[in-house]
Amino acid sequence: MTAPKPPVSIDPLKRPGPPIGFGTMVTFVIGVLFFGSLAAIGFTPDRLIEVPAGVARVLSFFWPADMAYGWDRVLPAIVESIQIAWIGTIIAAILSLPLALIGSRVLFPRLARGVKLISATARAFPEILLAIYFVPIVGLGAFAGALAIGISSVGMLTKLGAEVVDSLDFGTVEAVEAAGGSRLLALRWAVLPAVLPEIVAHWLFRFELNIRASAVLGVVGAGGVGGVLLNTLRYRHFDKAAAVLILTILVVLLIDMLSGEIRRRIIRS
Amino acid sequence: MSERPMTSRSGAIRFHDAGIVYPNGVVGMKDLDLEIQPGEFVVIVGSSGAGKSTLLRAINGLNTLTSGRVEINGEALNTGSTRQLRRVRKNIGMIFQDFRLVKRLSVMSNVLIGRLAHVPAWRSMLGLWPREDREIAADALKRVGITDKAWVKASQLSGGQQQRVGIARALAQQPAIILADEPVASLDPVTTHQIMRDLVRINRELGITTLVNLHFLDLAREYGDRIIGLRFGELVYDGSARTVTDEDFRDIYGRDLTADDVVEDEAVEGGEGGGE
Amino acid sequence: MIPARPSPNWPLWIGVVGFLAAMTVWSAYGIGFSASELACNIAGGTRLLEESWPPDFGFLPRLAGPMMETVYIAIIGTVVGGILAIPVAVLAARNLTPNRPTWFVDRNFMNILRTLPDLFWAMLFATAVGFGPVAGALALTVFTVAVISKLYSESLESIDMGLPEAIRAAGGNWLQMIQFGALPQAMQQYVSYALYAFELNIRASVVLGLVGAGGIGMILETQRANFEYERVTMIILAVLVAVLIIEEISESIRKRLT
Ligand SMILES: Nc1ncnc2c1ncn2[C@@H]1O[C@H](COP(=O)(O)OP(=O)(O)OP(=O)(O)O)[C@@H](O)[C@H]1O
Ligand SMILES: [Mg+2]
Repeated sequence: MTAPKPPVSIDPLKRPGPPIGFGTMVTFVIGVLFFGSLAAIGFTPDRLIEVPAGVARVLSFFWPADMAYGWDRVLPAIVESIQIAWIGTIIAAILSLPLALIGSRVLFPRLARGVKLISATARAFPEILLAIYFVPIVGLGAFAGALAIGISSVGMLTKLGAEVVDSLDFGTVEAVEAAGGSRLLALRWAVLPAVLPEIVAHWLFRFELNIRASAVLGVVGAGGVGGVLLNTLRYRHFDKAAAVLILTILVVLLIDMLSGEIRRRIIRS
Repeated sequence: MSERPMTSRSGAIRFHDAGIVYPNGVVGMKDLDLEIQPGEFVVIVGSSGAGKSTLLRAINGLNTLTSGRVEINGEALNTGSTRQLRRVRKNIGMIFQDFRLVKRLSVMSNVLIGRLAHVPAWRSMLGLWPREDREIAADALKRVGITDKAWVKASQLSGGQQQRVGIARALAQQPAIILADEPVASLDPVTTHQIMRDLVRINRELGITTLVNLHFLDLAREYGDRIIGLRFGELVYDGSARTVTDEDFRDIYGRDLTADDVVEDEAVEGGEGGGE
Repeated sequence: MIPARPSPNWPLWIGVVGFLAAMTVWSAYGIGFSASELACNIAGGTRLLEESWPPDFGFLPRLAGPMMETVYIAIIGTVVGGILAIPVAVLAARNLTPNRPTWFVDRNFMNILRTLPDLFWAMLFATAVGFGPVAGALALTVFTVAVISKLYSESLESIDMGLPEAIRAAGGNWLQMIQFGALPQAMQQYVSYALYAFELNIRASVVLGLVGAGGIGMILETQRANFEYERVTMIILAVLVAVLIIEEISESIRKRLT
């Protein structure tokens, strides 16, 4: 005589499901990719041990920073970076505003597809690759940098702007059209007032990003503080490099703070 | 009060065998024959989904008929022609349940939107409104009694004040016809009566043909001259507001009336207060 | 009668418009913006464009190695940076940090990391540990920490504190509270930020080579220096395709997650 067995035995300590969970599998795949990559670039444990010493050595040369060099040479270069970012952002703002408005999928389903293509292409180019082309076209210097920054910002600003437009309640657009206004006038009187503050906030945010971006364009000769850092490091003037880092960090933090505050106020208004 | 004509033409509306079937197959309007004379004040009632909005929006071409035709002052509306559509809409003001004001603009700018069809596009694009149009807008504001709010942002107004701006925007068009789609559905009872009185007064003073969709039967009876009842897109009642009976309403709604159908508690026996 | 319009805040308006205009003129002057120069150089520009077309497809096979190196660098940077970002984010989240001084120090550390762009880190590490992909991987690690920690700490700040507090009340220590109460709640955001960081890293690792930190940027720099513009175009096209493919993959993973 046997007691009736339960149809399925359930072990409360074991989680039901396949023997190897999804999480385990993902971890495994990432692990393989990671260690494979380490091996492929020759990042062996002995290289790893060198790293702290190397970084510490370089950092030790950084002190004391040559602030005289900072004021004389670095600050003008940082100012140039800011100017590059400003002009780049203005170019991008002017180009992206109309694109963002007609990039609304709700209002202009057909046009929006074309706009999306443009903005996706523009976003795919890092600004430094654009700068590589602009330097020979307009000559070495900050102007090339500003163009590169401007063009590459158009993509993101257009995309974000179109998203702002599409998040609108289109009742007001219908109201304008019901009063006999055209779609264009609806853009001017119903859409633009509603989206402009948010779009301007995006411009400011992009300006913050562009300051960082313009700080490296000097690497390909497109002006700004990047070239200065490259040279100080190349010739091992670490005290001067330290001045570059300190001033860059300070200026970027300061501008972030100001611009962040302005953005908050614009959005609240 | 500077008396200027707020309307130029008379607004006659006529539906011939008109029908609307939405792309998803829903019948929004069916075999509608309807004639509305210039200067009439018509209230349209019917339960939710009966096709009230569909009817109003067919008059200014926000909805396209799928059969039959609608004529405004004898001219058949063709929603395919943008130019004709704009010319017709210029003459028809619309008032919405949710006001549809541009919140970040001033009251004045919102009212001036009613002048868009009358002003050259380049001027309105730049905000260079001609003096005459600004005066018309100011006059429209005066008619709804909120001149003092002219330069306040629309977002800072109460619901009743916002709907007055909505009315002023429609008035600024100097329209022959005003379409009001449940203009009081999001307002409290007191404001509701004020807005309804405004609409009636404007209709009387200016002779603007006015069509109002209403949910509440007591309002329909109190303010309407003529009542039109819709059910499943069909015209089921057309008669004077003075002679309409509860029986008629029961037919229009296809059910017994409840407290939710009126603003005032007394209108229906045993009601528990005005619902929305 | 048009109601009188209240006069706008003129000092404010003039101040804002004046500032914007002055800033623009000053910047345009500073960077040597000139429309005439642009017009003159357009001729040179078209010559350049002619030179850079058609792309040199024969060069393609030589790109495979460096391109893979670029991907390796991005993977290492994302994995290590992604793990290191977790403690940085936790300590910088107002609701989870053990005490205020820790929060203050960590938060400022995070902001300073964020201040410097990827290429800056690449230059630093290339100087410290020598040119090559190891420097690139280290640079992207720091860059990833900067990107993820900020976003993730904001997500952590908006989690529901009920569960973590319950764990604390049941006698769990701080670490257990974080591990079982807080992190799982923002897991989905974390994965999405990690994917985002990976996309950024792919783009970034493309240019790291410009300063000698390995990857496809190194060839790009040599070809550019030799004015081999047909090859430069080829490299840039390859990069674009790679970036788009990676973005597509990570987008589809992200969709599956939500
Ligand atoms: N754009 C549309 N597409 C498909 N069906 C629609 C559309 N608009 C309305 N309908 C349908 O047509 C019918 C009539 O709608 P309508 O909006 O005219 O009703 P209503 O009487 O205004 O109702 P309510 O009192 O709720 O506003 C409803 O069944 C509705 O679901
Ligand atoms: Mg309706």
